[in-house]
This record gives sequence, C-alpha cells and structure tokens, in this order.
Amino acid sequence: MAAVESGQPRSHGKGQKRKKKRRLSVRLDMTPMVDVAFLLLTFFIFTSSMSRPQTMELNLPPEKETTVEVAESNLMTIRVDKDGNIFWNIGTELPKKLEFNELLKLMKERNAANPKLITLIKIDRDGTYKMMIDVMDELNVAGVTRFSLAPMVDADRNILKKVTP
Amino acid sequence: MAKHKKGRVGIKMDMTPMVDVAFLLLTFFMLTTSFKPAEEVQIDLPTSHSEFKMPETDVLMITVSKEGRILMGVDSQILREAIFGSQNKYRSSVEVDKLQLGNLVITARIKNPRLRTVVKGDKGAPYGPIEDVMEVLQKARVTRFNLITDFEKT
Repeated sequence: MAAVESGQPRSHGKGQKRKKKRRLSVRLDMTPMVDVAFLLLTFFIFTSSMSRPQTMELNLPPEKETTVEVAESNLMTIRVDKDGNIFWNIGTELPKKLEFNELLKLMKERNAANPKLITLIKIDRDGTYKMMIDVMDELNVAGVTRFSLAPMVDADRNILKKVTP
Repeated sequence: MAKHKKGRVGIKMDMTPMVDVAFLLLTFFMLTTSFKPAEEVQIDLPTSHSEFKMPETDVLMITVSKEGRILMGVDSQILREAIFGSQNKYRSSVEVDKLQLGNLVITARIKNPRLRTVVKGDKGAPYGPIEDVMEVLQKARVTRFNLITDFEKT
C-alpha cells in the first residue's frame, strides 16, 4: 500500500481578519518580585542543611545459634569496661590494657600477622554507646570486617578484675 | 573653590542575569530542602569515619536518648497512625518499652516490608539499652541495620 498523507487540511485562517493593534510598550516593575525572590532565597539557604547524616552499617548474625568454631589463636577479644578502658587479648591470654589511640595500629598489625583473625567486641552494659561506635569505627578504618559484638558477662568482668589493680 | 560639580551620570545596570541566577538558586534550594520534623529528644550523635548515607525514605528509626530511654518512629504518617494510633500521628517518635519494641518492629515491617532500620543513639547513652535494642532487632530478624553517626573531621 502506498502511504497516503492523512493530514488534515490546513486552514489558512482566511476567515478572521486580523486587526492591527497599536503596540503598547509595557514596562513592568520587577523590583518587588525580585525582592521577594531574594528573601525566599536567603530563607532557603539558611534553613537547608545539606548533608544527610552518615551511618554505619552493622550486620548481626541471625538469631539461630550457629556456633562457629574458631581456633583460640584466631580469636581476639576487645573488652571495654564501664569506665571506657580498653583491654585486648588473643585466645586465653590475660587481657592487656590499651589506649584508644593505639587501637588502630594494633588492629592493623594483628590482622596483617594473622589474616584469619576474628575480633570479638565486648562492651560493658554500663559503658557508653560512644565507646562502641569508636571501637567499631577504628576497626572499620583498619579494614577489619570480621568482627562481632558479644554481651559482656560476669566471667569477663572477673577476668578484667584480675588485671586491674 | 577648587571643587566643581561633576555631571551626574545615570547608571543603568542590567539586572536580568543576576535575577536569573537568583531564581535558579531559589528553585534549587526549594526543591532540595526537606523540613525536619521536630524531634522528641535532643540527640548528640557520636562521630565516625563511615560514609554510608542514611536512606531517605522508608526509615524505621529507633532512638536511644542520653538517659537510656528508647523511642521508636517511622517516617510515614500513615504507618505511624497504624502503629501508634491516631493520637501519635504527628509525633516523630514515641517512647516505647523494650518489651514492646520487638512486636512494634515486627508490625511495622509487616505493614511496610521495605522499611530500613536505623539506630540513633546519643553519644552519652549507656550501652545497656543499645545492647537490648540490638538483641530485640536480632530476635525480630532485622539483621542489617544502620547506626547514625556524624562525620568525623580529622
């Protein structure tokens, strides 16, 4: 089939006779509008906060108790007591006290020495949330992804008591 | 008299480009702002180096205040009404007991499965309630959640 042009016939607008109007030069005073615009602009600039808050992602294991066997030498425990003191140990060693600013270096060293190292963080219930974030942040910065949180039980407190005078 | 009058020159500046830019900025700021709902408690965020952004929609927020009180809130008003009743429709978060929290989280997630959970704790909050919240979330099978922090400037 041949293509057929099915356009509607164009009206040429012969019917209306256009009257020529005298062109009036319109002068609009834009000043008030611009004033309002600037007012709004300043308002929005001052009220908007640009940054959305940062977040830290945390994955918990599902509740089903899947016990993972870890060799003692691959398990590093970081304990934080209620005063914010940090202790670390590997396996069943006695915990050693650590300053917070040494944590990053230690984590890097230990994980370079043993790539299979798993870190367990135990924070006292009376400790602060800030400690948890700080410790986890240091681990993230050190590139340690294999860590988990565990509740601090009395056994841990007793161990800590042994090393604190 | 040394001074003699200068002829005053009428300056005509074309303001159009400036006004154009102003309007552009105005539209930009108008479209990007989202007004924060009034918060129930003042929260001082801890800082971290993490760079994950907080999700913008479908947020289930669990707030732990400095005193260890637990509050829960969702961002959609409809969902809020469904969970907490109409009297709490306009409150951004409602204080809950840690025993109720699990059920509320599950209800909310049934009503909107896309909800993402964020935990917002004050930096001075005791760790105990946080631990409780994490335990509740674990029981409710919310194994992935975000902790809100401020960006640390170093």
